[in-house]
Amino acid sequence: MTTVQERSAARKRAKRQEQILDWVDDRFGSSKWLRSAMDKIFPDHWSFMVGEIAMYCFLILILTGVYLALFYTPSSAIVHYAGPYKPLDGQSMTEAYQSVVNISFSVRFGLLMRQAHHWAANIFLAAIAFHMCRIFFTGAFRKPREVNWLIGVTLLLIAMLEGFSGYSLPDDLLSGSGLRVVFSIIEGIPWIGPWLAFNLWGGAFPGSGAFLERLFVIHEFLFPLLLAGLLGGHLAILWHQKHTDFPGPGKTEHNIVGSRLWPQYTVKSTALLMFISAVVFGLGGLVQINPIWIYGPFEPSRSSAGTQPDWYVGWLDGALRLMPHWEFRSFGLEIANPVFPGIVLPGVVFTVIYAWPWIDKRLFRDYAEHNLLDRPRDRPLRTALGVAALLFFTDLTLASATDLIGNGLQISFELLIEILQYGSFIGPIVGFFVAYQACLLLQTTQAHPIQRPVGGIIVRDAKGAFHTLGASHNGDHADGDHADHGDHADGEQSDGHRRGGQAAGVAGTSEDAPPSAAPAAHSALPPTSHS
Amino acid sequence: MTHEPSVSGLPGAWDDAPDAPVSPALGHHSEHVVALPAVMTGTHGAEEGAGAGTPWPDDVPPDQDDTWFPLRDDPWRARRMEYLIAAFFAVTGACGIGIMVAYVDGAQTQWEGSFFALATLCLGIGLVLWARWLLPGHDIVASRGHHTSGPEERALVVASLSRGADAMLTRRGFLAKKVLLPVGGIFGVALIWPLASLGVRPGLSLFHTKWYAGCHLVTEDGTWVHVDDVMVDGLLTVYPEGNIEDAASPAVLLNIGGAAMQARPGQAGFEVKSAGNGLVCFSKICSHAGCAVSLFNVLSMQLICPCHQSTFNILQDCKPVFGPAPRPLPQLPLGVDTNGYLISVSDFVEPIGPGFFDRSDWKPSDG
Amino acid sequence: MKLPSPSRSIDSLRHPWLWAGPGALVGVAMIVFSVLAWASPAPAQGQPAGPAAVKPVSSNKAFVGAGQELYLDHCSACHGIGGIGGKAPELLDVGPAAVDFFLSTGRMPLASPNLEPQPHQPYFGPVQIAQIVAYVNAIDIANGTPGPGIPVVTPACSAETPRCPTLSEGNALYLLNCAQCHDASGSGGELSHGYIVPSLRSATPTQIAEAIRVGPRPMPNFGPGELTDQQVSSIADYIAYITGRPDPGGLGIAHFGPVPEGFVGIIFGLGILLVVCRIIGNRG
Repeated sequence: MTTVQERSAARKRAKRQEQILDWVDDRFGSSKWLRSAMDKIFPDHWSFMVGEIAMYCFLILILTGVYLALFYTPSSAIVHYAGPYKPLDGQSMTEAYQSVVNISFSVRFGLLMRQAHHWAANIFLAAIAFHMCRIFFTGAFRKPREVNWLIGVTLLLIAMLEGFSGYSLPDDLLSGSGLRVVFSIIEGIPWIGPWLAFNLWGGAFPGSGAFLERLFVIHEFLFPLLLAGLLGGHLAILWHQKHTDFPGPGKTEHNIVGSRLWPQYTVKSTALLMFISAVVFGLGGLVQINPIWIYGPFEPSRSSAGTQPDWYVGWLDGALRLMPHWEFRSFGLEIANPVFPGIVLPGVVFTVIYAWPWIDKRLFRDYAEHNLLDRPRDRPLRTALGVAALLFFTDLTLASATDLIGNGLQISFELLIEILQYGSFIGPIVGFFVAYQACLLLQTTQAHPIQRPVGGIIVRDAKGAFHTLGASHNGDHADGDHADHGDHADGEQSDGHRRGGQAAGVAGTSEDAPPSAAPAAHSALPPTSHS
Repeated sequence: MTHEPSVSGLPGAWDDAPDAPVSPALGHHSEHVVALPAVMTGTHGAEEGAGAGTPWPDDVPPDQDDTWFPLRDDPWRARRMEYLIAAFFAVTGACGIGIMVAYVDGAQTQWEGSFFALATLCLGIGLVLWARWLLPGHDIVASRGHHTSGPEERALVVASLSRGADAMLTRRGFLAKKVLLPVGGIFGVALIWPLASLGVRPGLSLFHTKWYAGCHLVTEDGTWVHVDDVMVDGLLTVYPEGNIEDAASPAVLLNIGGAAMQARPGQAGFEVKSAGNGLVCFSKICSHAGCAVSLFNVLSMQLICPCHQSTFNILQDCKPVFGPAPRPLPQLPLGVDTNGYLISVSDFVEPIGPGFFDRSDWKPSDG
Repeated sequence: MKLPSPSRSIDSLRHPWLWAGPGALVGVAMIVFSVLAWASPAPAQGQPAGPAAVKPVSSNKAFVGAGQELYLDHCSACHGIGGIGGKAPELLDVGPAAVDFFLSTGRMPLASPNLEPQPHQPYFGPVQIAQIVAYVNAIDIANGTPGPGIPVVTPACSAETPRCPTLSEGNALYLLNCAQCHDASGSGGELSHGYIVPSLRSATPTQIAEAIRVGPRPMPNFGPGELTDQQVSSIADYIAYITGRPDPGGLGIAHFGPVPEGFVGIIFGLGILLVVCRIIGNRG
């Protein structure tokens, strides 16, 4: 019910909007792009927002990071503390450490910003990991999105390094021990190890006075630029190719269903940013993280129990603990022990992860383009492999906390490490089989628990003729429905499916399979067992 | 799940819940969705092959109700929703004031964090309610269009590329392949050559520490260590005098009492024995990854590294018995000066710390 | 004309007042967190300041006699009559600090000499402990080998002074000598062969000082040649300081560093956000 005032206000508003858009178009010719942008559709599934969580955490990291950088001093010069925290009074420490203690105790908002920054970093990596798992398990990396997968894995790698360099900046005992370990890993690389380690650190450990400045440049400048650039590319590709979506009622390989960017998605996305800020600053204010004043400044002759890296590097630290004490020596040369868990393992892991889209293509003989996602249960082999990998990383991450777990559960770390050593390959093998069977079981249960079944119902009228119900279907649903549970839009079939699907797919199917094939398959089958 | 077969043709046949459309994706009002134009689902475009004329610009679907939002036709509830959203925003505003007041009042971290979190939380809730109930743009369907180019475009771009590539590679192959490639390689290496100035070469620095013949053992504050200072079952961190800051030199001095030490070859007689005391000194830098080793288990006479749980048997000359450490901790040869203060007889007889490629001194046969 | 639901989201969005539930939960959680963060545990008992570095032990005959009675009833079965040892080590040179430490932390008496001493509620009251201490001290003196006395922990500087050399000295010594086993925050850790390093967060300053001097196995000891009495007192003061005050950053979780922090970040941080996504987004 619009009143006269509301109508005239609406006219005024429209006029002003026209003026603004005219101003912009006069300069940039932007109307077409703006219109397609504002009308752009984004699917709404909740798991699609996890990548956004990572993006907004990155934004919060930049904002809090700039604040912290204004107060941080990247200097290894030795000073004597004279601030309000009494137990450090008069002690010698680097200027960097002192500046972080000052941020914590002498700068208003400082401790909140520091802790929010660190919590945001932890959540950032958790979101990236979850997002990557979602992409993996639903097959969103398939053509045409392989390059985006490569960019995403690079983002993960750089984010891990960014986090590591970030918490090493305060030069406290905990992070300094971590730097020592990394130095030793690099030092052990054959031929170039010592030279490379000395090169990066500017000398023997703990490095020259310039090391903290270098770390600062890397953390503030190099990696954030790389992250921002790659993230921009990641989003641009997503924008151009459009987001994938789960199969469901009315969804096909050729359409997209969701909310418009303006105003729905923009407002909801902004709301997500607010919720992320709430969690990050809530944790930042209420839960302590990285109390560097407790660890004290780094000294090479000091160490602390409970020396672990942040959780996302935990799998590497666990690998170092689980690695048997092998070292290879001959002809006066040696390959040091930390090289295997510290260089070889992550090298193999990341190579496999980077190559996965192509491994996946080979494995399932599926070179087609996909805009609809797989449900994890429809690809039991991929899901089982993913579960096995996750169990492997979980085992390694647990291994990084052996002394704490042993302390908590009152068992010796010798026993714990032995269990986890066996667990690192038994766990994934068992998990593989369990996950595989679980997928097969889930396939035979009811339809997707959060989708309703859609498909044809065949009814026979009194004259004996068959009718497909839902005349509006017209075969339009054929591409996306799950009535024949597992048949894909392009005529391929999922692997491992008990209802007659073969493991082999249809090789080389083009993305535009004629839809006439699909309705035939569709109407040939009776209502499924899960209807 | 039971279905009531219906011959009405309406998709509503599927559900027991009458107000939920079968295909919510295809629009909110089921009566509009009897027969979708094929173009809506994109199959039209598919039939005609890639790129052959999508019927409308990407992502701008006609025929869908763009202005619909859930409370459009219920202004009373809409008004109440507005008030609710306003209430949440008001809390945000109040927390904003709280942040400023807390800042002036000493900026206590927990108060600030709580205010900030509550402010953004309420702002977020208000925005979600606004979007969900009062803003349009839900569940729209559009064609994906084609993000790939058609064959004509592809042919044109190949022609553009080969215009240059042909000239450069086939007709000027000599320049491109035989000259530019090797020169480019050399130039590329030259560009990154300055990175070498980042650090010094290791030289022999990994093979030696600052310990030397006659160097006094000192504590962190520079005091000389006397032979009676450490009691049985005690340990003390010691440094070479004058080089307390050196990262490779810290060592741990232990008193093992009367227990017998099985020294490794080349390290016999490094300990200092007196009545009931047995002083031994080992490098504190772990042979695995360089952390400071000084957890001392007196009952099992072991040194343990906190970083990766490498465990060394002290009485077997710190031989590693558990964990990833592959080599024993080197032992410092101890002596006593004329006044009873401890000195080092020489540097360690092998490189300390983690392994590296040309570390050739220690062989497995050394024990 | 029916209004369909905009999407298959949970019904609480139909009824905005149901937001009160989660909202209240969040608010309550915040208040609880804040209270937990600000509530400080009871400060550890300080010892009365005195010029002596060790606490004097009574040599009153009746007192010592009462201690002897207690000793005969509870300790002599393993430690032997007169402390000469037997199934358990002899006590002829242990000194008051060791006895007071083991009894006041409840590690002794042990039900069997094969068991590992574990911290426990003390079995004896303070007076009884003092009596047993006096008795064993008397044995040691009679044997000519008096052991380390109970250290006196002088309280650190008051809150008003801007500088505090005691705390600073304690911090430096603790991080060099103790943190590798007991963790920088005093939460404990683990040694080889399954020996658990206990947390210091509930120990009294005197007990900490006693342990430093005594070196209750498997812990090493730190004699007067390594740490002066003042230095021992400083370390105990430092631990009392960091465990006695509320953590400036909020809830300390388990004071164990990045591992519990990672748990909280993933399970609470990301977990809450996944729930939020689930509420904002669609499910199908």
